[in-house]
Amino acid sequence: MAEEFNTESMLDMYLFENTQLLERLQEIVLEQKDEECFDEDSINEIFRSMHTIKGSSGIMMFDEITTVSHKLEDVFFYLRESHPDNVPHITLVEYVLEVSDFIMGEMDKLQNGESADGSSADLVARIDDFLKSIKGEDKGSKGKKKEEPAKAPEAAPPMQFYIAPMATAASHFYKIYITFTPGTDLVNVHAYKIVFGLKDIAEDLLHYPEDIISDESSAQEILDNGFKMLLQSQSSEEEIRKLIGIGYDVQKVDIYECTAAEYQQGFDSVGSEIRIDLESSVEEIQAKAKEAEKVKEEAKPIAPGDFVIQTKEPGKVKKLAKDKPKKAEKTSYISVDVAKMDMLMDLIGELVISESVVLQNPDLKVPGLKLDNFNKAAQQMSKISTDLQNVIMAMRMVPLTNTFQKMNRIVFDVSRKLGKDIDFEMIGDTTEVDKNIIEHISDPLMHMVRNAVDHGIESKEDRVKAGKPERGKVTLSAKTESGKVWIVVTDNGAGLNREKIMAKARRQGLLEPGKMESSYTDKEVFQFITLPGFSTNEKVTEYSGRGVGMDVVMQNIQSIGGTLEIESTYGQGSSMIMKIPLTLAIIDGIVMEVGSSTFVIETGVVKEFIRVSKSMMLQEPNGSECVMIRGECYPVLRLGEWYNLKEYRKDVEEGMMLILDIDGRKMCLFVDHLVGKQEIVVKPIPNYIKKVKGMSGCTQLGDGSIALILDPAGLVDL
Amino acid sequence: MRILLAEDDFVTRKFMTNFLSKYGECDVTVDGMEAVDAFMMALEEGDPYDLVCLDIMMPVMDGYQALVGIRNLEKERNIPAEKAAKVIMATALNEEKNVKMAFDLGCTVYSGKPIDQDRFEQAMKKLGLI
Repeated sequence: MAEEFNTESMLDMYLFENTQLLERLQEIVLEQKDEECFDEDSINEIFRSMHTIKGSSGIMMFDEITTVSHKLEDVFFYLRESHPDNVPHITLVEYVLEVSDFIMGEMDKLQNGESADGSSADLVARIDDFLKSIKGEDKGSKGKKKEEPAKAPEAAPPMQFYIAPMATAASHFYKIYITFTPGTDLVNVHAYKIVFGLKDIAEDLLHYPEDIISDESSAQEILDNGFKMLLQSQSSEEEIRKLIGIGYDVQKVDIYECTAAEYQQGFDSVGSEIRIDLESSVEEIQAKAKEAEKVKEEAKPIAPGDFVIQTKEPGKVKKLAKDKPKKAEKTSYISVDVAKMDMLMDLIGELVISESVVLQNPDLKVPGLKLDNFNKAAQQMSKISTDLQNVIMAMRMVPLTNTFQKMNRIVFDVSRKLGKDIDFEMIGDTTEVDKNIIEHISDPLMHMVRNAVDHGIESKEDRVKAGKPERGKVTLSAKTESGKVWIVVTDNGAGLNREKIMAKARRQGLLEPGKMESSYTDKEVFQFITLPGFSTNEKVTEYSGRGVGMDVVMQNIQSIGGTLEIESTYGQGSSMIMKIPLTLAIIDGIVMEVGSSTFVIETGVVKEFIRVSKSMMLQEPNGSECVMIRGECYPVLRLGEWYNLKEYRKDVEEGMMLILDIDGRKMCLFVDHLVGKQEIVVKPIPNYIKKVKGMSGCTQLGDGSIALILDPAGLVDL
Repeated sequence: MRILLAEDDFVTRKFMTNFLSKYGECDVTVDGMEAVDAFMMALEEGDPYDLVCLDIMMPVMDGYQALVGIRNLEKERNIPAEKAAKVIMATALNEEKNVKMAFDLGCTVYSGKPIDQDRFEQAMKKLGLI
């Protein structure tokens, strides 16, 4: 969220601070949901948060938010002062979450430029009743205490209000460019007439050249380069054109509607005198010391007198006694546009390719050339480029904490609705992953967590019958291992029923003819549930059961190059294991040739290279091939044959066999020969080429040629 | 209700005068110094302004200085808080520190520009001005 709040306007600050408070509030509440009651510290913290939100919302004149936070503040004030017993804790928890949701909802609207029009009246009334009920119960037992502790006498704060500037949804921003007929006399006066004519409808109006009244040279400037205006107005383009008019003097009027951001940039092309931001006045300031301008302007305090307009000469920009404060650059964090980060990633990819083009250049392959110094320098460069890669990848890494926290809330909501008692555990939530990955796993995770709660964990009665503890548990864990991040959703619920799934698969004709059912591993059987339309549920609930979830989950995971494994023990629980490569863009690969084509496969899946003899090869009855290596049988895929290449080596004794291990599944790949090991930059296969099974991308090698990147998971399915 | 307006830009001045005249009789000044002078004049005549609307960026004296000036005049005459003039700062400056300083110096309402007329009326009602 920090990226959105990089100006420091009042509204942004309000939204930012209160969002922080509410997120913290939700954390506290979920932590203590199972306790008897909130502890002292939490009560205080919640009270303070509501108090703050009430205050700032009052100033901003957001009445509904003010009232509801005031009400909740009253509740916690009472809890703090009177320490009542028997407060129905879970009800209180729900109220706090409801209030938090309401306020977050209103703040979302404000963020999107809409108005906070929700009504909290109903919620306020209910909380009021709740408060009365807990006070009522309590009056009897604590008779001795004074009736109601007087509200801490706060000096009634002077009523002060902040009104946010009108949402400029109705305001349009225009760039207007007017060309006058060449040779027109006193064209600056004509321009002035136009400006004057627009003033009525203008919320803001700037023009270049600025001084068109007294500066005669502006006339020439206008004839040469045209008259430029920046206009902010609610009027439409036609209305503006009408006001400008086309007379004998005005040759052409171009009007472009632009965004507020572009408008703020001012007149970009010509001269640097005119700028809408008042930075230009910095150089001309007499009063302030020079260093202040060079140093980051972050903490410069402002004082009355700083905003006096120093000069009001014709044609000069209004100068302030003080420069308008720049956007604060926080010393510890900068918010960066994600698009720029993506560009940076692309560039480092290009750099890696470029580096190999240089280092593997044929020009260098002159025999007898002494390249010692060159090699040393090249090594140094490689080291720096690797460091650069690592830093850039690290910049894009974001901890999973927020995503996991969202799941916490989901478990709570769904389990409440279904009447199940479920614990939620998070392990390794500080694990960091690329920002791109977070965006893609959020939905699959939500789905899997919902599944665990809805289907996985049984109802209390069933659990008791099965001799399990009443409370179910859902665990979300994350860890990094060998270049991948493993995210696991585990539940100690009912587990998957292999027979049921097999039966359904049989009915849907999904089983491979000729393969015995018993030869399917558990993992393979469980994978069936990820197929579209597959569900062994008899009925459909609000949350799941239609059979459209898991296949979408698979798609999402695969789109970021990940895999999903499912482990389960019937009666004990299941685990959904997502394995996602940490970095998508640059991988370590083995380059090999088949025929005239070059392929690359990631180093991680290659276990061995081996030259085989004809005697080790076996032919299966269905035509596929196997090879016996050290007593184990591996299915063989001849790349040349599969991709219908020309001139590839057919004799196994002339080519090379690669033994691949893809998450436990083993196979052999037959290629002509190996070229080497190299870091390659993964580029996506262009859209105009249809998807080919077994291929996940392409890359450019050091000698400039293109190699295709093989997708191990795809190959093993062939 | 007597209203005092300080605004240096002609177009805005026209707009604000138009807008504020709905609520009462409006006197117009063009910089901070004139505004303080006008305020003092009204105090001496025994017919003080109820509402003062100040721009921030003005020549000679800015809105903050004018605000300080006005509050000092009131303090000097021991005018109690309930009877003090309500001051509205209307400006395009929208940053938190600007708002904070305005409130610290005694401003009643801080409105960003363009002015949200409905909210403005709402605030006026809350303050009991209309």
